[in-house]
Amino acid sequence: MSGDPQHEPRGKNGRAPDVLRVGGWMPMREYPQNEAVDFAIVGTGAGGGTLACRLAEKGFKVIAFDAGAWWRPLEEFASDESHQKKLFWTDERLCDGEDPIKLGNNNSGKAVGGSMVHFAMVSLRFRPEWFKSRSILGYGADWPIDWREMWRYYRIVENALKISGPVTYPWGPKRGRYPYRAHELNAAAMVLARGAEEMGIAWSPTPLSTLSAPRGLAHPCAYRGFCVSGCSTNAKQSTLNVWIPRAVKAGAEIRDLAMVGRVAVNEAGLCTGVDYFREGRWQFQRAKHVVVAGYAIETPRLLLLSANGRFPEGLANSSGLVGKNFMVQSNQAVWGLMDEEIRAYKGPPSLAITEHWNYADKGKDFFGGYAYMSQGPLPVVWTLTQTKRGLWGEALLKEMQHYNHQVGLKMVGETLPQERNCITLADEKDAYGLPIARVTHAYCDNDRRLIEHALDFMGKALDAGGAKDIWRETDDTCHLNGSARMGSDPRTSVVNADGRSWDIPNLWICDGSVFPTVGGVNPSLTIQAIACRTADRIGVLAARGEL
Amino acid sequence: MTNNRMRWAGIACILAGVAATAAVMERPQQRRLCKRARQVHIETSRAFNRSSALLAGSVLADSAMEHYRGSFSNPVMYVPPLVATFSILAGLHGGADRHAQTHTVRHAIYWGAALTGLAGTGFHVYNVMKRPGGWNWNNLFYAAPMGAPTALLLSGALGAAAERLRNQPARAPRLLGMPAGRALGLLSGIGLAGTAAEAWLLHFRGSFQHKAMYAPVSIPPAASALLLHAALTSPQPRWLARVMLRMTWLVGWLGLAFHVRGVARHHGGWRNWSQNLFNGPPVPAPPSFAAMALAGLAALRLREREPR
Repeated sequence: MSGDPQHEPRGKNGRAPDVLRVGGWMPMREYPQNEAVDFAIVGTGAGGGTLACRLAEKGFKVIAFDAGAWWRPLEEFASDESHQKKLFWTDERLCDGEDPIKLGNNNSGKAVGGSMVHFAMVSLRFRPEWFKSRSILGYGADWPIDWREMWRYYRIVENALKISGPVTYPWGPKRGRYPYRAHELNAAAMVLARGAEEMGIAWSPTPLSTLSAPRGLAHPCAYRGFCVSGCSTNAKQSTLNVWIPRAVKAGAEIRDLAMVGRVAVNEAGLCTGVDYFREGRWQFQRAKHVVVAGYAIETPRLLLLSANGRFPEGLANSSGLVGKNFMVQSNQAVWGLMDEEIRAYKGPPSLAITEHWNYADKGKDFFGGYAYMSQGPLPVVWTLTQTKRGLWGEALLKEMQHYNHQVGLKMVGETLPQERNCITLADEKDAYGLPIARVTHAYCDNDRRLIEHALDFMGKALDAGGAKDIWRETDDTCHLNGSARMGSDPRTSVVNADGRSWDIPNLWICDGSVFPTVGGVNPSLTIQAIACRTADRIGVLAARGEL
Repeated sequence: MTNNRMRWAGIACILAGVAATAAVMERPQQRRLCKRARQVHIETSRAFNRSSALLAGSVLADSAMEHYRGSFSNPVMYVPPLVATFSILAGLHGGADRHAQTHTVRHAIYWGAALTGLAGTGFHVYNVMKRPGGWNWNNLFYAAPMGAPTALLLSGALGAAAERLRNQPARAPRLLGMPAGRALGLLSGIGLAGTAAEAWLLHFRGSFQHKAMYAPVSIPPAASALLLHAALTSPQPRWLARVMLRMTWLVGWLGLAFHVRGVARHHGGWRNWSQNLFNGPPVPAPPSFAAMALAGLAALRLREREPR
């Protein structure tokens, strides 16, 4: 181990941490600041990390910046929820609107690898119709990409991460076999399965990005259960231990602890590089192209922060849509108690899933869909859930005694894009002296109807699964998307299908903020698929001389 | 019993299995003696006794470990390790016994093992079917394994066949109304195919992540097919079947080494043996291929000498 990764950058002096070996290092190429690299990528999460890898493998000179630390999971991830808060983006932000969201553990990450370092590993494909939800299903907006093309990229990502999934998946068009077999179900997943069978709907082991068999130096899952606090065995296949090591091997440079504060644009209206803060000072990296991959809050924030005389409303914002149509996913739950011990915290938290209400269109009084999964909250999260319910003191103590018997179902629900849900800049400044983001959020009536339907159905399913004393957790959200949507019309979108901004041809966006709609599934697989597609498209455009 | 003592009991069972394996290995000198005496069917019987013991060794270690993992939640879970121990003892005794006569106690033990295996299969089927999803892949992978009790059934069947063969005349012995070589060839060929089927299921569960995982699902099935062919067609020397069966024997012991290595690939490796022996590939499983190959080779030798 070497130094404190939160204060001393690790990606420098021609080497990078080899996260698969204790104390290991791997050589890393470094580029001079005054030489314009092909791509400067801001962010190393599901979008930026994946793109850095694929572009470097195509031979482009790439530097990817991340504000967070470069962790060594084998040595630095403790089985301690409080300690592992170091993985979350907890910089100051303002949350307002009718339904202000809570930012932190389940929707942000600040580390090389982004929030995939602590994601729950649920790796689902979109329902094909969602890519044309406006024209086929009558709500939201159409994607400018065909679902068949996306399914090809889903396959590539699933193979890259060796997703452990069921032999046959009950919903949607036929898909190839998952590279690894699904994991053994824990007792909480069995409750979901029993409930679904009683309710007459299909269920499945969840396709997860954690190994069910060895892969190279990565160990198979030990069912430790601290997945959302960071995996200390490298069983979780993420940007940190898959895409980024590949990127470094292919010649990309990753700069950790490097906060990008501005994308520089010249007189001609083209990006020239990025200003970033690292090792106590602001520095400038020249680049031929800039890719913003900071996720749905930091991406619009950076575009707005980079406003200048030429682009007074922020970069790529001629449509006025940067920061608009910000979407969360509803994350409400029902909880109950079983007579027998469940120990829901054993193994990955979401081992079983039903996507029934993503694929069924009958019997709904709302647009969109939702999936729900079995749950395994760790003790601190579980205590907070109980205090949110108003329990304290003796009552809280009593409830916590049931921890080993509690079981629950939690939804990932689609919310509709609304322009009033947006990211803007506040007057307050952060530690770097940059205005912080203001996150404004409100559900619409359709969102509320969807949530009500889900809570009602999950309540019945949990009851049918054998739980008693069922209650509802009504106010959680997860996964942030939208805020710089892609489209086929420059007036109604920020970027085109390739993630290339309409206004500035050498400015790209590659993360969840390009989603026109969110669907009812966790977004990470789709973000990575888009990143792989963007890389391929950049390769094609470069070959044609159209970059 | 405390966890720790259970753990030592598990180790003791494994060591017993290893010791038994070493003991039943064929000794070349004895083979020469038998051949000189033209007691080919007795030699075959003894090989089947040994094969049965080796298979029972696998069952003993495997069932002791897996039922320990299942906390012996049902008292009948103690039965298979116990019965397998008797089956090993019977096999060791029979392997050294040159008498041309059925040994009643051994014969009874073998029937007990076979019936235990049959009952165990029932229990395991019930365990799979009572889970949500019933007969689906996830339950076949992770619920009580179907193939495991069948190995005990097979161990009993091999031993019982050995005992019955001893009562047959040296010239043209018969079993189940057919030439003994054919009967034993069918028995060991089918047993070998079943063992390979179980390896396929579990290696499929492991996504064939290592190329060596294809070996037990390709070589033993080929050996099984050749052996069944030799059993069903007119007797003649079958060199290819013999070669494949010898390779199957090798697959069994190399598999053991690969599984030992596989345990090391889990988090903490062998330093964390008390968890990884259970999470990793089952160390005692592959030698069952060696056991079936021993039986198959003995059956083939007998079959090759049978009148056309």
